[in-house]
Amino acid sequence: MTSDLNRRGFLKSTAATGLAAALAPAIAHAADEPLGIVLVLPSPLGDVGWGHALSAGLDPIKAALGDKAKITVLENIPEGPDADRIMTKAVADGNKFLIAGSFGYQNGALQVAKRNPDVSVLHASGFMTAPNFSPFAARYYQATYLMGMAAAAVSKSGKLGSVSAFPIPELITSVNAFALGAQAINPKVEVSVVWVNSWFDPAKEQEAAKALLAQGCDVIFSNAQDSPSVVSVCEEAGAYVWNLNSSMQKYAPKKYLGCVATDWSPFFSQQINDHIAGTFKGTVAFLGVADKVVKVVDWSKDIPADVMTKITEAEGKIADGSLSVFAGPIAKQDGSEGVAAGASMDDAAIVAMDWHVKGVTTPLPK
Amino acid sequence: MSGLAFIIAGMLAAATPFLLAALGELVAERSGVLNLGIEGMMAFGAVVAFIIVHQGGGHAAGFLAAGVAGMALALVFAWLALSLRANQVAAGLAIAILGEGLSALFGKTYESTTVTGLPKIAVPGLADLPVAGGLFQQDPIVWLTLLATLGLWYALRFTKLGLVIRAVGENPGAARAIGYPVLAIRYGAVAFGGLMAGFAGAYASTVYTPLWAEGMIAGRGWIALALVVFATWMTGRVFFGAVLFGAVSLGGLAAQASGVSLNSQFLASLPYIVTIIVLGIISSNKRLLKINGVASLGEPFGP
Repeated sequence: MTSDLNRRGFLKSTAATGLAAALAPAIAHAADEPLGIVLVLPSPLGDVGWGHALSAGLDPIKAALGDKAKITVLENIPEGPDADRIMTKAVADGNKFLIAGSFGYQNGALQVAKRNPDVSVLHASGFMTAPNFSPFAARYYQATYLMGMAAAAVSKSGKLGSVSAFPIPELITSVNAFALGAQAINPKVEVSVVWVNSWFDPAKEQEAAKALLAQGCDVIFSNAQDSPSVVSVCEEAGAYVWNLNSSMQKYAPKKYLGCVATDWSPFFSQQINDHIAGTFKGTVAFLGVADKVVKVVDWSKDIPADVMTKITEAEGKIADGSLSVFAGPIAKQDGSEGVAAGASMDDAAIVAMDWHVKGVTTPLPK
Repeated sequence: MSGLAFIIAGMLAAATPFLLAALGELVAERSGVLNLGIEGMMAFGAVVAFIIVHQGGGHAAGFLAAGVAGMALALVFAWLALSLRANQVAAGLAIAILGEGLSALFGKTYESTTVTGLPKIAVPGLADLPVAGGLFQQDPIVWLTLLATLGLWYALRFTKLGLVIRAVGENPGAARAIGYPVLAIRYGAVAFGGLMAGFAGAYASTVYTPLWAEGMIAGRGWIALALVVFATWMTGRVFFGAVLFGAVSLGGLAAQASGVSLNSQFLASLPYIVTIIVLGIISSNKRLLKINGVASLGEPFGP
């Protein structure tokens, strides 16, 4: 083949490659070659956190497909050229299903998808799509609303706090829904936010938590921290604490309020089955309580029974769509109208939310 | 006012990792050796101390082992930079990367685990003061670091050893001509730097933030390095700079928590800006800078 580098040979071989590409999924399936699945993560893989949640989402697939799937997890891959190179290499090695576990992988992962039409790519928290490239994100806000209800019930000071990573819409909506949920139980509740401007700096996260505790906050929301930094400092100080993605109850056995967990396995299974069947389509997957991707686990026993009943009720309504977290009337922080009475924010508005609701006391950085 | 009390109570502890590492680097640079590997030595010390404390060895053993670990890396650097006369910048960067890599390797199975920190020791009477009381209630390492700062200031300024170290940094040729073993003294100074960086790492992972997470040093070694330069190689200014940095970074968080309307990205960069401005003003005196600057810094010395 390599000696046929003339025009006729080239045409012949490209035609053959095109045919092969069209038949690729079928051939791969028929040849019973294991499906190579690669998960790329931005942080080190621990027992808790975002990376853990994604990798745990692949466990049921490992169990279901057995020898038919070969799962590789590449952890601690910095966003940028390194990630691009590693994703390209993973695909060149014959892997056909790529999960890019961080927003910053978007451009590199999209390039990989465009160059390799037979590869299916899932990309965390992005907004771009291609026929074989789907972004996915969790509707955390549906469950942080429920946590807000619980927080308002256990708070004595009426002041709640959040240590948050970066002021981006995904995190802002989580804080807003937390405040709205709390106000559903106690309208006077206030929420303070400290943005640490880092995805990962345990020492700074602990300092931020201590700053909030010094202000009298007695329930702290650890918003997007991958280590138990905030959770352990709150347990020590005797303040309730909760977090996202995976349960950190063992770090705060007394004061753990609950965890807004993400279970990606139903989504991953569906997408991988679609890939095997050759029906993978590039779509925006924005998944929440109804999809069983987002749910609260390890509820604290300190939540009063009557509030717990209300929470369960609200959870059911969110799942069947009769309760929308961002349904009007919602006032903005400065008192102006955010969402009109009778209206409700659509997905496009939610993923672009750049304002705080009334009751969040910290001004949003501009 | 609780925000102010929070800053006053926390600033010394926040400054301690910077201070420990910067004091060690100060001695190394005073002897004429620029070791850029602090970040790596801190990370390696942090993981070694964490593992020992996690296994039940206690904090004393943890700190000791972290010091030895930091020193071991520093000696690798010294061998490259002093014995083989490699470029000090390149060798230092290599140590920074090596240390971070080693910390990731050793810390793999301890990712996201926690240990208990150290109880605080209060100064009787003073600790009950309103607002400022928190200042007199610190963990033992903070108190020891303050003592070490004082001791180092005295040693560099008033002892013969301090004079010899400074002489070696100023003019290694002259120091050698009057019979001082320049390389041996530099080896010692670099090893001391490693020891202190190891302690700094141990403090970060077992006392200040008692948990292990890869990358938790998060650039603190580089800040310590910058502090030494901005403090124009003077112990008192290193102390002042570290505490200022700690106080301003806590201040940014306290301001946000109390709802002050300031940009959080600006607040996050404030410690760097304030430290640079303040130390820049202090060190704007050219004559003083010339007196304090280390003449042979970064230059290899051949026998």
